[in-house]
Amino acid sequence: MSLTDRIAQGLESGWRVTDAATLTNHQTHEADVVIIGTGAGGGTTAEILARAGLSVILVEEGRLYHQKDFRMDELTAYASLYQEGMSRVTKDGAIAILQGRCVGGSTTVNWTSSFRTPEPTLNYWADQFGLEALRPEAMRPWFDGREQRHTVAPWLTDPNVNNDILRQGCEKLGFSWKVIPRNVKGCWNLGYCGVGCPTNAKQGALTTTIPAALDNDARLFHGLRADKLVMKQDRIDHLVASAMSADSVTPSGVTVTLKARHFVVAASAIGSPGLLLRSQLPDPHNRVGKRSFIHPVNATVARMPEKVDPFYGAPQSIYSDEFNFREGVDGPAGYKLEVPPLHPALSSGVVPGHGTEQLDNLKQLPWMQSVIALMRDGFHPDSPGGTVSLRDDGSPVLDYPVTDYLWTGLRNAFRTMAEIQFAAGAEQVRLMHLDSPWFDRWADAKAAIDTLPMEPHRVRLFTAHQMGGCGMGKDPRNSVVNGFGEHHQVSNLSIHDASVFPTSIGANPQLSVYALAARNSTRLASRLRG
Amino acid sequence: MPHVPHSESHDATAMDRRSFLRTGVGGTLFLGTVSLGAGLSGCATAPAGRLSAVDTRMDASYRFQFLTRDDITLFEALLPAIVGPALTEQPEQRSQAIAGTIERIDQGIVQFGPANQQELRRLFDLLNFGLTRITIARVWSSWPSVTTAEAEAFLQRWRSSGIGLFNNGYIALTKISNVAFYGHPDHWHLSGYPGPPTWAKDALPQFKNA
Repeated sequence: MSLTDRIAQGLESGWRVTDAATLTNHQTHEADVVIIGTGAGGGTTAEILARAGLSVILVEEGRLYHQKDFRMDELTAYASLYQEGMSRVTKDGAIAILQGRCVGGSTTVNWTSSFRTPEPTLNYWADQFGLEALRPEAMRPWFDGREQRHTVAPWLTDPNVNNDILRQGCEKLGFSWKVIPRNVKGCWNLGYCGVGCPTNAKQGALTTTIPAALDNDARLFHGLRADKLVMKQDRIDHLVASAMSADSVTPSGVTVTLKARHFVVAASAIGSPGLLLRSQLPDPHNRVGKRSFIHPVNATVARMPEKVDPFYGAPQSIYSDEFNFREGVDGPAGYKLEVPPLHPALSSGVVPGHGTEQLDNLKQLPWMQSVIALMRDGFHPDSPGGTVSLRDDGSPVLDYPVTDYLWTGLRNAFRTMAEIQFAAGAEQVRLMHLDSPWFDRWADAKAAIDTLPMEPHRVRLFTAHQMGGCGMGKDPRNSVVNGFGEHHQVSNLSIHDASVFPTSIGANPQLSVYALAARNSTRLASRLRG
Repeated sequence: MPHVPHSESHDATAMDRRSFLRTGVGGTLFLGTVSLGAGLSGCATAPAGRLSAVDTRMDASYRFQFLTRDDITLFEALLPAIVGPALTEQPEQRSQAIAGTIERIDQGIVQFGPANQQELRRLFDLLNFGLTRITIARVWSSWPSVTTAEAEAFLQRWRSSGIGLFNNGYIALTKISNVAFYGHPDHWHLSGYPGPPTWAKDALPQFKNA
């Protein structure tokens, strides 16, 4: 049983960790490398560089939370561990964005699904963006290495009923399904991955790369917001950062200046383009913030005759790629099928409704099952993704217009998900759509799905995966960084997070970020030591 | 060469009032005007702070950081329609549950941060400002005199409206209310959620000496 709290131990042993809320004076610090962000990319980079003997400063806007704070409680977790207190949405408010904001980033709150970047995606990148060195063969050792580092393995315990219903439905209909690889060690199968793992079983950045970096003398500032990278001639000279108060919302007024030879930005596909835009770094082809991708997610819920208890057990253990690449990598929108956990706060926010109707919806939570479809976008001319820009206050916002191409995919996914649930024995199925009733029969659902208006707000859309906005590619005219995450124009800047993906990837992104960051950090370490 | 996106191309000439309101920009301008109007017309725009227990029947020790007195009144009118059927009829417990939910709504919004706080401020001002309450929300009475049936009718209008901005307003109001209500341990029984497994809590250090 993996109960050891590496963070508590490390803090006790004298790690160099500073809560910026405690700072009272402006100050300047210096290191070989400053890394902005402590999620999948930042953590990996910090460990590799620190082990290589480089001095490293890590900057995290969110706060440091660990086992003592992970109390399996939704409301406190959503308020403290997620971006904008779980209220982050796209610019028009039509898509809810679930994204971590704490040490460990989204790896602290994700549902542990750990997929390699799908091979068709890597080949598409090679063919379309000149990223030959990222072909599946070349990336294999990096995936192997990261799977070992984060203890990734297919979930051998029986899936919970919520996930098993996806399996059963796929079986009945002849759709392929597989067991999800998870990054856990000694998992108790509780079901609370999304609110911070209470047992330290999850092998995200918080329990692996971050402690290793700090063991190797890296320094961490949390509650510190990266405001601006400041250039001197053609290089970045320093980062200006604002200390946040203990409430993590208001800047305290204390400024921290961080100088380094090299800067690594790993602040997510929304945060990284935001930082580059605020810093007004060279962007001759106007690429920063463009081609920002998500996997837009729609969902259906079912009422099952037997208890599902969708709040208990490993939240994601079964998936289906039947429809992901079926019509080719660049054909009509493909989608991956998974299952979300359903706790009362999340469910009451995701299932639209109020009054008696909503009480009736939620009353049956123990019998509720849900399937989600993750649209793979960015592989087709009619799927150009969105744009990250800055609000008046300098904070980044994602504008993500849903194209007809995606609406068609979302409508198809509604059809697939409802059919799977009825095939698995659902008594009733409802689409997460303002106009959807509970359907008693597959035929009724099918007929309704053909004509339901597919419009923003009416279709409830979500995403937990942000990608792109600082895309990588060979040609600086259509990318921000090269295949090693090195900025095309600024020589001492690298980007090591999902913002470098030139498309979405068609799978939960954490392992893709770990692997690419490991590869690019290994190269960076030898460059900086050389 | 990869496909270059052309998402910037909008056909501005085809914009009628409806599609204008659907866009984020339209919504921002439209609500921004209201917010200014509300401020000038004397709507309560400062956080309510610590209200007296008599005044609101709320826990007098709670200090509101975002919601104004007007916002609190708004939610006192809306919550009976949003979560009312899940509440006990017993008047004292009923008003306590509503008061507690409004406090949790305030706590939640504080963590939303400045950008989304500003969006909600515009929405609440639109609903609180008499002129826009009547013309846009089509709620004729001021919120303290709005009946549950009238609140229900308002919510249904915004839910079924063909204008995305109103759908978005419906979602915003119901989502923050539903989450603050159904997400609280006092109300877990309504969704049949037993809470985190007791055996796990018994075995985990963070639940000891709590």
